[in-house]
Order: sequence, then C-alpha cells, then structure tokens
Amino acid sequence: MNSPLASTPVVTANVIPFKKILIANRGEIACRVIRTLSALGIASVAIHHRLEARAKHARMADQAVEIKGETPVAAHLDGRQIIEAALAIGADAIHPGYGFLSENAGFAKAVANAGIAFIGPDAATIALMGDKISARDFAAAHGIPVAPSVMPTQDIDAFARDAAAIGFPLLIKAAAGGGGKGMSIVRSASELTEAARIAASEAQRYFGDGRVYAETYVERPRHIEVQVLGDGQGNAIHLFERECSVQRRFQKIIEEAPAANLAPELREAICAAAVRLVAAAKYKNAGTVEFILGADGRFFFLEMNTRLQVEHPVTEMITGLDLVRAQIEIAAGHGLPMAQGAMMQNGHAIECRICAEDPARDFLPETGAVQYLGVPEADYLRFENGLDPGQRITTDFDPMLAKLVVHGPDRDVAIARSIAALKELALLGVTINIDYLARVLAHPAFRAGDLHTGFVAEHREALAVGEPAPEALHQALIAAALGFREFHDLAFGVPEPHATIGRWRN
Amino acid sequence: MINSSGAEFRRNEAHNRLLVAAFRDKQQAARHTRPARDLERLAKQNKMRPRERIEKLLDSGTPFLELSSLAANMAYNGDSPSASSIVGIGIVSGREVLVRADDPTVKGGAWYPLTAKKIVRALDIAMENRLPVVHLCDSAGGFLQLQSEVFPDKYMAGRIFRNQSILSKMGVKQLALVFGHCTAGGAYIPGLSDYSVIVRGTGAVFLGGPPLVRAATGEDVTVEELGGADMHTSVSGTCDYPAANEDEAIHIGREIVSQWDRAKKWDIQRDAPEEPAYDPQDIYGILPDDIKKSFDMREIIARIVDGSRFHEYQPNYGTTLICGYANIWGFKVGILANNGVLFNDSSLKGAHFIELCNQNNTPLVFLQNITGYMIGQEYERRGITKDGAKMIMAQSCSHVPKFSVMCNGSFGAGNYGMCGRAFDGRMLFTWPNHQIGVMGGEQAANTLAEVKLNQMKRNGGAVDQAEIDRLWEDTRKAYQEQLSAYYSTSELWDDGMIDPVDTRNALGIAISASLNAPLGEPGYGVFRF
Amino acid sequence: MVFKLVLDGNLHEIDIVRRRPHLVLRIDGREHEVSGIGSYGDGRQTIEIAGTAIHFARAHAGDRQFLRLDGRSFEAKLLDPRSVEAGGSGQDSVKAPMPGAVISLHKAVRDHVLRGETIVTIESMKLQTALLAPRDGVIAAILRVAGEVFDKDEVIVRLEAPAQVN
Repeated sequence: MNSPLASTPVVTANVIPFKKILIANRGEIACRVIRTLSALGIASVAIHHRLEARAKHARMADQAVEIKGETPVAAHLDGRQIIEAALAIGADAIHPGYGFLSENAGFAKAVANAGIAFIGPDAATIALMGDKISARDFAAAHGIPVAPSVMPTQDIDAFARDAAAIGFPLLIKAAAGGGGKGMSIVRSASELTEAARIAASEAQRYFGDGRVYAETYVERPRHIEVQVLGDGQGNAIHLFERECSVQRRFQKIIEEAPAANLAPELREAICAAAVRLVAAAKYKNAGTVEFILGADGRFFFLEMNTRLQVEHPVTEMITGLDLVRAQIEIAAGHGLPMAQGAMMQNGHAIECRICAEDPARDFLPETGAVQYLGVPEADYLRFENGLDPGQRITTDFDPMLAKLVVHGPDRDVAIARSIAALKELALLGVTINIDYLARVLAHPAFRAGDLHTGFVAEHREALAVGEPAPEALHQALIAAALGFREFHDLAFGVPEPHATIGRWRN
Repeated sequence: MINSSGAEFRRNEAHNRLLVAAFRDKQQAARHTRPARDLERLAKQNKMRPRERIEKLLDSGTPFLELSSLAANMAYNGDSPSASSIVGIGIVSGREVLVRADDPTVKGGAWYPLTAKKIVRALDIAMENRLPVVHLCDSAGGFLQLQSEVFPDKYMAGRIFRNQSILSKMGVKQLALVFGHCTAGGAYIPGLSDYSVIVRGTGAVFLGGPPLVRAATGEDVTVEELGGADMHTSVSGTCDYPAANEDEAIHIGREIVSQWDRAKKWDIQRDAPEEPAYDPQDIYGILPDDIKKSFDMREIIARIVDGSRFHEYQPNYGTTLICGYANIWGFKVGILANNGVLFNDSSLKGAHFIELCNQNNTPLVFLQNITGYMIGQEYERRGITKDGAKMIMAQSCSHVPKFSVMCNGSFGAGNYGMCGRAFDGRMLFTWPNHQIGVMGGEQAANTLAEVKLNQMKRNGGAVDQAEIDRLWEDTRKAYQEQLSAYYSTSELWDDGMIDPVDTRNALGIAISASLNAPLGEPGYGVFRF
Repeated sequence: MVFKLVLDGNLHEIDIVRRRPHLVLRIDGREHEVSGIGSYGDGRQTIEIAGTAIHFARAHAGDRQFLRLDGRSFEAKLLDPRSVEAGGSGQDSVKAPMPGAVISLHKAVRDHVLRGETIVTIESMKLQTALLAPRDGVIAAILRVAGEVFDKDEVIVRLEAPAQVN
C-alpha cells in the first residue's frame, strides 16, 4: 500500500554509518521514516507520549521510548529530553520529521553537541532560514526575487508611509511565524496601522516574537515550491517544483507535482532561483524553497523550509527518488544522489491531505475514532498514515490524519485516479474532508489548472456539499436503518403469522 | 363446486354485500364519529385520539385484531360507541400483546356498564391466553348515572382489578400508559400494572380528584400536585416513567415491552401457510339471503383454510355435522361445522372427533349454523339427550383451545354443543348475517301464539284472532331485535362482529395468541353412554 | 410506530409496509423492496434493493452510525424523542459544537437568560465561538469552569425545565 513508485536508481557503494536512528516525531511521518530505515536495514527508535503508547509508529519501530510531558505536544517539544533518550538508547542519528523541533536551530545545535547526527541542515542554516526576515534579506542579496516589503519601526507613521509606497494590497506577516498564523491582508492605508498592531500582538502571543513585516500581496497568487537537496559544500540540485495553491486557513490541503500549466522558462527560472539560494547558503540536506507566483508571471521568494515537507511524496512519485533515504545519505556524508542532468520527471502526482474536520462548518476540527478504515490499493497509490483501527482522534494533535498520494501518466489521469480513490476510501467514525477534496478535484477550475491560494474561498458555494440524489439518500437511509439494532428488531422480530399477514385491520 | 354465476349465488352475494356494507358503516361510525366539541377539547389538551395512540404503539406493518368494535351499539341510545373502549390483539416491539384503550372522546372516557364488561372480558382473554396487556388509560371514571350496573356485582368493575392481580400473579406482564386521568377505581389500573408511564401535564392518578378532595377534607390542591407525573414518579413511586408528551410515553412504552421475554409458545404442529385456493369473497354468494335456507358448510370451510385443503373425518356418518382437519395460517386445527340439525349419529361423531383432537393437542374450531338437536319420540328413545350430553361433555372438558364462529344461526341447545359463549372458547366471532336465540323469531311467535290460543280456549272465551295476531307480530319483532348479531355483539355475547372474509386472519391471530398459554390437563367427566 | 432516523441532521421516517416475502420499506412515499439485508455489523457491506446490489461501508460509534455510500459520507442516529429535533424537552441543554476549552463564563447558575444570549465563550484550535441560550430560561447548571476542556457534543450548560402550563 505504501510503496514509493520505484526504488532509488542510484546504488550507493558506501555503507551508511548509522546503526540506529531515533525519529523525533510521530504519526504518519514517523511511520514513513521507519519504512525507509527498515528498507535500509537501520534500526529505528520511536518516541511517544504516554497517551500514544500503543500508537502505530511506536509499534512499527524496532524500539520505543516514552517521553514525558503535560501534553503530547509538550513532550514532543522537549528537546533536552529527546536527546537524553537518544543517548540512552544508543541512537547515532535523529530524524526530526516535519513540525515539532525540525526547524528549531537550538535543537539541531544541541543534537550536534551531543555527538548525534542531525538528519537535516546545520543549526546556523536553520536559524538563517527560520527567521523570515533574515531569509528574505539573504535571498534578495543573492539575486532571488523577493516581494517588496517594509519592516515596521517605532515610527508607525513612517512604516505606514513606506508600506503605502509599495502599494496595496499588502500582506502583514509574523517574522517568526508560519503555518498561516499571524497573517492578515490589508487593502487600504486606513486599515494598516491597526492591522500591524494586532498582528504584532498575535505574533508575540503565538511565537514569542512580536516582529512583523509587510510585503506586497499578490492577487490570486499561486504557491509554487521547489524541492532541493544540498550537500553542504555549496552543491545543490532541485527535484522540480510542486504546486500547493489549494489551501484553507492558509494551510495546504492539496498538492501536486509538477505544477499545472507552468511555462518551461518560468519553471526553469523558479527552480534555478531555488538552487541558487540553496547553493549560496551552502545548504545541507533536504529543504523546500517556497515562492509566490502571480498571474503576470512575476514570482517572489516566500520562505524556505529547512526540513522534509508533508507533501514530499508527490515529488518522490514523479522522480522515483526516496527522499528520506537521500536525507540519510547526505547526513552520512555521501553527498547528492545524482547530478541535476540525471534527474528525470515522469508523469504527475497529486496528494490530498485527509483531515478530521467539517468543511460544511468552516473546517472546524472534529473528533471521534477510527471505527473502520478501508483503503484502496493500487501500485500508483500511497496512503501515508499512522492510523490504527479503533484509534481515538482527539484535539491533542493536528487534524491531519493521512495523505492520499496518487500518480498518473498525466495530470488528467492523476486527477481521475485521485477522485476514484477518494470515493473508494472509507474512514468512518470521525467527520473528514475526503468528499470535499473530491469535489475540489472535480471542479472545472482545478481541472483547468486555474489555481491560486484563494481557490477554496472563491469556489466556496460550488464546493459546498449538495443534497444527495434522492436515490442515494434512500439507499443510505435503508443501509443506516439496517445497521440499527432497533430497526433490525422491528423488521425481523415480528413473529408468525403476523409477519406474513402484514398490516391488516378488521 | 358452486356456480358463482348462478342466479342464486348472485342474489345471495348482493344481499350479503349489503349486510357487510351496513356493518362497515356502523363500525366506521362507532370508531370515528364523535361530536366536534369532544375532538376539539382533546386537541386543545394536546392529546391524540385513542386510535392514533394505538397505531403508534403497534409495530408498523403488523395486523391488529380488534375485538367487539360494536359493543354497546344498541345500548344507552348509542351514547357509548364501542362501549367507550378499544380492545385488540397486536404486535408491540415484536411481542404479541393485548391492547386496551379508554376512549376519552366519548363522555371523557367514562365507563358504562358494558365498558366494564368489555374490559373484564379483555382481561379474561389475557389470562386464558397469557397475553401481556398494555393499558392506554384516559378515563373520567365510572359513568355515575349507571353506577349500580358498573360498580357492585361480581363481574363488574371490581373484577377488572381482581383480574389484573391474578394476571400479575400468573407472571403475565401489564404496562399502563397514563394519558389522562385515572380516578378512583381507575387509579388501580396503573397501580396494579407492573410498569407504568405517565404523561406530564395531562396524566394523573388519584383515588379522588381535586373536587372530591375539596368536598371531603377542604384541602385545595391542583391536579398536578395531587396526582401528576412528577409527583408520582419522584415522590410516591406510583408510576415509573414520566414522559413530556404522548409520543414520548409511547416510545418509552415500546422500550419497556422490548425488555419483556419473548413468550415461549405451546408447540403444536405448524406448516407453511397457504392462501385458500378458493376466493373467500365467494362466501357472500354462498350464505343464503334467508336464514331458513340451507347451504353446504364445506363451501365455507374451503374459503377459510390453507390451500382449501380439508381432510374430512367420517364423511359418510353423521353427515349433518362436518368434522375434519385443516390448517389455518399453518396451524393444524380440527373443524366442526353444521350442515343441518344434530342427530344421534352426528352428536356421537362430534364427541368422538373432539376426543381425537384433544388426544392430538389439536385446537378446535366450531363453525356454527345450528337450529338445534333433533326432537321427537324416535330420537328421544334412541337417546338424543344422552348423545347431545356426551357431545357437550367432550366439548366442555376439552383442554385444547377452542374457537367459535357464528356463521348463520345458533339456536337452542345446538349453541351449547357447538361451543357457545358459556363454554370458555378462547375467542368467539359473529358474522353480520347471524342470528342467535333460544329459538327463531317465527318459531317463538308461533309457540307463544299457540300458548295464547290454548289459554283463550281454556278460559272458554272467544278466540280474539286480532289479539293473537298482534301477539305474534310483537313477539316476532322483539325476537328480531334480540336475535340479531348486532344485539348479541352489543351485549358482548361475542368478541366481535367480523366480515366473513376476515375470518381466516382473525382465527389465525386468535390461534397464535392462544398458544401462549399451556394446554390444560386432559380429562373428561362421566359420559352417559 | 414509524421508525425515525436522523441522517446528517435531517429527520426521516421509514415505514415497514411488508415483511414477507421480502422486506418492503416506504420512505417519502416511495416503496423499496429490500431483498438482501447484509449484516448489521461494521465494515464493507452489501445489501440488495430492488434487485440491485448496493455496496457501502459502515461503522458504529456509540449510538451513531457512519456510512460511506456512493462516494458520500453520512452520519445517522436514532431520533431520541426527548431531543430538540423531536420537539421534546431536549432544549434544556447546550452542547459544545466542537472540542475545546472554556475561555470565560458570562452567566451564572440561577441567572435568567433570553434566547440567543451568550452564556459561555469557548475556544478550539485557536478559534473562538460563543454558546448561546437556545430559548428563554433559567440556568440550572454550568458544567465547566474557565480553562476546563470538553469534547464535541458534551453538555456544557443546563437550563431548568420550562414551567408547566396547565
């Protein structure tokens, strides 16, 4: 069910020096990393909070260690404890996954100081790219296009003047932020001061860092990102781009590789810019450079994520490369897996993020349990998840439950296969967004590749769930009725001869 | 076997269809016609009509055999349709139950004398057949103007509560749904039921209502305070479950019934049922339009039993009594049916066949059309009285369930041998064309006229023919009224008038209900041989 | 009694017309013959309606049922006659629309509230929302204090039963 499209074409003659790797993460990404470790013959160590003692990732790994914390999230953010666990268990490397501590420069440094290999960039690079403002400055300095922007100073009026000079609309963003938090769109000068103040206080509250900046807001922007690998010596390659424009609450829900309708020169330029940035930073290991692409073809550097991304499987599917393996190889000092010229792309891949939420109620998070999981199987399909039947879905973690990744020889086939797979997929016991995702994929604008980050809002009405056809509704009612003990008894508990006489009155 | 396009058939059919239409009209009126004022009052109290309550109580798609729908149709000036009470056998949560409902749309549900009789009969049926009972209570109490006929005697209202107690002792469950007032004696219905549900705001249980309490002790108290849902379900414990409305009460009632054991039924032979091969509607053309005309009961049997298959016993002997085995809704039964007067041989045959059925644990079905036992010197010398007695002895002492259908006529002692009302049949139904009496109207008129004539002659006066004619006419008229099936069903001498084509379903449901009780001990008294 | 089902928040009635030789149900005036009933357990199921096989997946969770049929997801539960949908006395409780935590209480026990007044402010996944009074009434109980967490559909506030009108 979860096989990458093809195994890595490059055979590494060198032996990987890591005997045991601890995954500082959980859920589907932990399972994903463990799968590659297993294939490479490297022992895997999972960490888990007490509440997740029986979680899938903990059971998949060769060894599991309990980490303590008031909440599971708090435990996974306790870098010191994690490093202690790694040392105690004899792990010689730590894979941070995504989220949690994966972009925490302090953690990366502490890991290195402890003599453990960090499967990722070095602390300095993480710090550089982690700070949105310093990342922007670095990009600009190396000839990568950045959106005109303005930093707020004590002089709010000067800030407002400079911002107005860029022109509206503007996007206010938190320097230390991410995941769509602390962001807002400002369309006129009169809103600007207030918006800046609110954003700063939000940023302070969520990230402990109140710095915000304003930059040009591109209308109907497309979110295009490039997967890169660097060897830390200034060499870098790209693994083509991904498009992640379909978002809700500034979070991606559908990603694809390659981007649709992208002119070859534009793609060239964007990928080249990404490589230039990464090479200049002497970036080591895997990362993603994110851009905003306007309808006029202008693209701007958005930010860089110094880790493996959620949507990495779509890149794996069109390149045939195991990115986790590449990460380990680079961390082991074996350099890049291949030269740029050897990097080939084949077909099209789409990933749908399956989340426990209700699209009809503004994507409010939902809870429940995995009462039944029925997953379609095909060699072009991956269902990345950390789910167990009966598992409780709570608000302890992010609502993303799984990723459905589908490959096809071209975009249309990939779309059709994705829709079919979503239809066949059954995850019962908690409200999820799979029907909504299927409606997005089936929408003419999506098919046409007419994407931008406001897609979900723009097509809100068209994507709203319609009433089921009367036939389907009746079938569902009958199926549901037959599943209730009370109806079963009513229908089949009537004795004879009354059941055969039926309704009769004298 | 019959010529369904013959003139006689068509004449009979027209006559009987008219009779049945008249029956349906009367039934419709008894069930549904009510003064608008009473219906409005009910609606204002947010109450459902009793038949609505019953329909919601019963499992959908199941039959309901209503008993005695025309009780009291010739009494009290028609003031108490169905005797202000609805009784029937139906399915609730998959269980066979007897449903009994007060009718608050008739004088607030007050109990007339025949109401009490109907309820007592309903509970007798429950006891004899071990049928759980669901009471739908909503009554103003006894109909005070006729209290002497409602209250004091052995089989009047008190018998209801005695029966309830015995039912409970037998382990047969009772549920009371209190939709309205249960006052005085009526309070004992939920009080003596194993489970009770009471609707908040409209249901109330008290031995004396607020007016009576005020008059007796001066205490001033509201209905809710005195006997409402919350008080009884949280303070006194008289009722078990409060309900916010009638729908909820019925829902709770159904849930309660679903907790009851499914009855273990007596095991008698049962095959797959089969519709009769002959059309039951033919019965209309078979029954003659004149009670003095005869017809072959086999034709009727063929339109009631499964596959129209009837295994006749002793076909060449005692031919005025048809005996044989058949299936009704799969249940094997022994049928006795009259094709004329009962003679020595037919009486003996009947007694013997009844014994065979008891030996085999086969329920008995009596299809009555009997004017009596043969009289006359020859028959007396041959012992017709003894032979009739043997048949009555066998029938009375039977331990298998017995069912009777009054098909056309039931006169004199023939009623006895053929399991009339007094003989503890589980259920007894009447057809609209049926007549019942000690003797026929004309016969009675002739008899009384002759007695009068003889009396006049003895007194030595002139014979006043006009007076004799008047007497004859009056007698015939009085008998006509009292012989009719409507009179008999009004007085609850039967468990309901039914359309002849409904007989098969009625018997099937009745037989099924009867198997909830164990068969009695076999044994007979002394047969005078 | 007609069987009542709530599917995705809408009330439906299913009447049993016949049981032999096959189950025949009536929904919204249309009759359906159900010849294959599958089992009422969880997992992939097939039933037969009017001779056509219908495939679906079903899972039970407490008193609810989740179904996936024809590419759509449904949630079904029995109608509790005491619930709001039935017009019963269920409007006495205010349930949490989503899991989260209480931010602040605006009312106290024994306070009178009008329909639509905010009683509690709650938060989940950084989204705030208000719990409103479903009808005029008096607060009987508030079951969580500020900072406490709760699950979806948990009762947070109870109103006193409405006064009886006789």
